Amino acid sequence: MSLAETFPPASREKVSIRNLDFYYGASKALKAVTLPLFEKKVTAFIGPSGCGKSTLLRVLNRMYDLYPAQRAEGEVMMNGENLLDPALDLNLLRSRVGMVFQKPTPFPMSIYENIAFAVRLYEKLSRADLDERVETSLKRAALWNEAKDKLKQSGLGLSGGQQQRLCIARSIAIKPEVILFDEPTSALDPIATARIEELIDELTDDYTIAIVTHSMQQAARVSQYTAFMYLGEMIEFDDTKNVFTSPRDKRTQDYITGRFG
Amino acid sequence: MADHIVKAYDKELEALERSIAEMGGIAEKMVIDAMDALANSDAPLAQFVIACDERLDNLQREIEESAILTIARRQPMAVDLREIIGAIRVAGDLERVGDLAKNIAKRSLKIGDVTRNPHEVVGLKHMNDVATELLKDVLDAYAQRDNDRALAVWERDVELDALEDSVFRDLLTHMMEDPRNISYCAHLLFCSKNIERIGDHATNIAETVHYLVTGHPFPSERPKGSTELTAAEPKA
Repeated sequence: MSLAETFPPASREKVSIRNLDFYYGASKALKAVTLPLFEKKVTAFIGPSGCGKSTLLRVLNRMYDLYPAQRAEGEVMMNGENLLDPALDLNLLRSRVGMVFQKPTPFPMSIYENIAFAVRLYEKLSRADLDERVETSLKRAALWNEAKDKLKQSGLGLSGGQQQRLCIARSIAIKPEVILFDEPTSALDPIATARIEELIDELTDDYTIAIVTHSMQQAARVSQYTAFMYLGEMIEFDDTKNVFTSPRDKRTQDYITGRFG
Repeated sequence: MADHIVKAYDKELEALERSIAEMGGIAEKMVIDAMDALANSDAPLAQFVIACDERLDNLQREIEESAILTIARRQPMAVDLREIIGAIRVAGDLERVGDLAKNIAKRSLKIGDVTRNPHEVVGLKHMNDVATELLKDVLDAYAQRDNDRALAVWERDVELDALEDSVFRDLLTHMMEDPRNISYCAHLLFCSKNIERIGDHATNIAETVHYLVTGHPFPSERPKGSTELTAAEPKA
């Protein structure tokens, strides 16, 4: 494979974040953040703890709406709509922008129901269609072979890595356009981590992905674009290969080389 | 540049740099000594040059090993990654420079003290002076991470190529004048090729310095002093 194929040119902007400010009460956590999420690409957010990368992810599917003192200003455009619009249907938004968390969050129900439950929230499918949706989602999340003989067993009985893949299967079962990963492998061993990373690779065939990670190596491995954030600001956004071989900003360089004072 | 949070990381990088500096010093001296041995038929000096090569080889191996270990241990990024890749490349170039100097020393032993026309060696000595200067300059540029200085070395390599052409013509004339000169002059021809290659390694190092400092690979073609072929073997 040639280098040009490994790093294809920028594609269409799926999500455009423009001048985004975010407040936790009086404290400003994001300051005029502007960046694109390119369609069917992985964008990694890196930066020290408290830099605002998880906050940014939470804005993208309006998680913050659950908390009254938190508010966002600016624009997050997707398919010509501002996701910050108060009139937006949040349930619909969250079906289009799925999220996978640091700790696996399977529901205390069977593996089958974990996925079927999510699907039923948005669609009315026949039994056969639902079965098929569960199967394709589990296959897509590379969990089918391990789970097909115990679909009736509790999702909590799976290992950590399997639980995380179950959560990914649940996210993709409702056919989102964007999937957000918030440190999806920080609680997993290296093998389970590799499986998730392989899965993220495969998911870019269909989905636009944003991932927050504390592992620079992981960001370098899974993403095509990387955004470095610091103290609520977007310091540098570029092709991942540039960020990790010759970053433009000194703060990016200091952070990724482990020189941060 | 600020220190790493992990101090041992800085120590590893410093150790790499020290070893490169040591290699540079040895290689430079070998190139100078080899030419002196050739010009003065100094067999003990030639033997000394040949013996020095082992130290250079060992240093290169050590640099490669510790660079690989650092990559495995620290997963270097950005400037650190370029630093380590640069060290591996420069060590490789210096090791080759050592081989070329050793080869000149070996030829000086083969030639022995046959009666010779001192004029024939003058051109070679001049070439060697330029090569030594390029090597010294590029090693300074490497030590100081000085891209401009590295570029200057890179551009000056054409001088060496031009000198090689004139040495080639000179030696050819001597061989035509008197066939008894042929074996001696053939050895000198190889020596001039070796010196020209030492210059090529200096330009390689200059390119590495450019990559190290800017983060971008060196652009396009390297300059050529002459389009004319100087020996049976075409230029790469």
